[in-house]
Amino acid sequence: MLAGRPRPSAQSARRTPPLPLLLLCVLGAPRAESGAHTAVISPQDPTLLIGSSLQATCSVHGDPPGATAEGLYWTLNGRRLPSEHSRMLNASTLALVLANLNGSRQQSGDNLVCHARDGSILAGSCLYVGLPPEKPFNISCWSKNMKDLTCRWTPGAHGETFLHTNYSLKYKLRWYGQDNTCEEYHTVGPHSCHIPKDLALFTPYEIWVEATNRLGSARSDVLTLDILDVVTTDPPPDVHVSRVGGLEDQLSVRWVSPPALKDFLFQAKYQIRYRVEDSVDWKVVDDVSNQTSCRLAGLKPGTVYFVQVRCNPFGIYGSKKAGIWSEWSHPTAASTPRSERPGPGGGACEPRGGEPSSGPVRRELKQFLGWLKKHAYCSNLSFRLYDQWRAWMQKSHKTRNQHRTRGSCPRADGVRREVLPDKL
Amino acid sequence: MSLREGSLDPQADSSVSFLPHLEAKIRQTHSLARLLTKYAEQLLQEYVQHQGAPFGSPGFSPPRLPVAGLSAPAPGHAGLPLAERLRLDAEALAELPPLLDAVRHRQAELSPRALRLLRRLEDATRQTRALGAALEAVLAALGAAAPGPRREPPAAPGPAGVFPAKLLGLRVCGLYREWTRRTEGDLGQLLPGGPA
Repeated sequence: MLAGRPRPSAQSARRTPPLPLLLLCVLGAPRAESGAHTAVISPQDPTLLIGSSLQATCSVHGDPPGATAEGLYWTLNGRRLPSEHSRMLNASTLALVLANLNGSRQQSGDNLVCHARDGSILAGSCLYVGLPPEKPFNISCWSKNMKDLTCRWTPGAHGETFLHTNYSLKYKLRWYGQDNTCEEYHTVGPHSCHIPKDLALFTPYEIWVEATNRLGSARSDVLTLDILDVVTTDPPPDVHVSRVGGLEDQLSVRWVSPPALKDFLFQAKYQIRYRVEDSVDWKVVDDVSNQTSCRLAGLKPGTVYFVQVRCNPFGIYGSKKAGIWSEWSHPTAASTPRSERPGPGGGACEPRGGEPSSGPVRRELKQFLGWLKKHAYCSNLSFRLYDQWRAWMQKSHKTRNQHRTRGSCPRADGVRREVLPDKL
Repeated sequence: MSLREGSLDPQADSSVSFLPHLEAKIRQTHSLARLLTKYAEQLLQEYVQHQGAPFGSPGFSPPRLPVAGLSAPAPGHAGLPLAERLRLDAEALAELPPLLDAVRHRQAELSPRALRLLRRLEDATRQTRALGAALEAVLAALGAAAPGPRREPPAAPGPAGVFPAKLLGLRVCGLYREWTRRTEGDLGQLLPGGPA
């Protein structure tokens, strides 16, 4: 057995004293050599505006008394400051003047250090140079399935204050209640916050952001919203993409409406986007409305396509607002059948159920109707023509030849019209 | 010296070779010490990055002032008997967690966005406790006197000045590295094949 073992510390071994005492050990303890000096910098840890000036002093004291400031020098962030910035105020004090300060290099503050002649550190002070925060703006919020609220904002002055700036999202019910503070930050980016629960529906909230740093504070404008007006949901699940028989230019897309909102009255809108496998350009089909299936037409034969679907639960509980699109579903891939004939490019969501759909024919129809609307003075003519055109379309898969003749509807001189084939 | 008497020489005492569990425990503790030595080096590098120059600069020579309650391994540490060295290691490892925690609290105020640094300091606090406990278990199994019960340090406010707080944190991280490295070396001598 060993006895009288040395302890890890010359002082009390078992108890860690409070930090201020630890600090005193760091600041005031003499070095191992005799005649060591220490110093004090004033001011300690000042906060300053960019472009302002600093006047500081380093007062040296130690053993033996009468320590001199001769030979002392300053460094800022490790770089020695030119001697013209310093002067001896008295035998034991070295002064420093720095003008037109730049913003702090690190959040923890710029290190201003007073050195002895031999380079040893006598004292230090940290400078905080920056700007007060500007008003945060552009607050946007959304609620996932009416259960929570996530908000994001833009910091004023693009966020660069050179000082740690604290952002606090606050919210309250508009007509009653106290201010609440959001607690879950950085959920969808550095300037965001998530309120996970205890939110009321059918009543407006006021939401704002407060920015605070060492130099001041700023408050955003207040955003007023009802949770029901900013609802989003999950992407549609179970998206399936399949071929339409042997049709080489079509794919069928099916999906399920998001289950989280299935019990609520709303008119969902859907959007589909698709792209060729080796392309980054998406094509968007916008006019899917409330369906949970769609046929893409006008595709290239023998080509792999990636397809995604998203949902907008607008009109929930009678809300008049547009709703917020969900994220896109995971990409689903499928390929069109191969064909010898070159396929047409581009396409749109086609109505399902037997109607022949051909890209060029549809384009011609749209062009024809567009021309009619622009030039026809007989308001009923376009509808009759469309009905007959539709009947013609149902009788044949493809139209290759069309006859163009002048029509009989009175109209302005010099205007050329395109009419339907002879059958009409 | 037998195991009952607190022998730390596994080669001299054949009874130790029949204690595979103890050997496994020693190996495990040594591996942990080696891992923490590596982490301590990473922590120190991360720490100096966030304090700004001159911290971390090649010529930076901060005052090596003592931290109350803990100092660096003494120059004569390597010359002490192994049992004594391990006891000193265990005592130092017991002192480090509250110091590391205090540094973390201060850094959370100074550099709140330094998430990796804060996480490393939190991990170091926890891992040092684990290593200290493992070392104490080894010492107890070997019959060497373990350190007495510790008193929890009182909750302390942060230091007054920022620069001294930075220096203090640097010193604590440096001591953490020195003591984990020392513990790894001392435990290595307990492994079979280590010096007698």
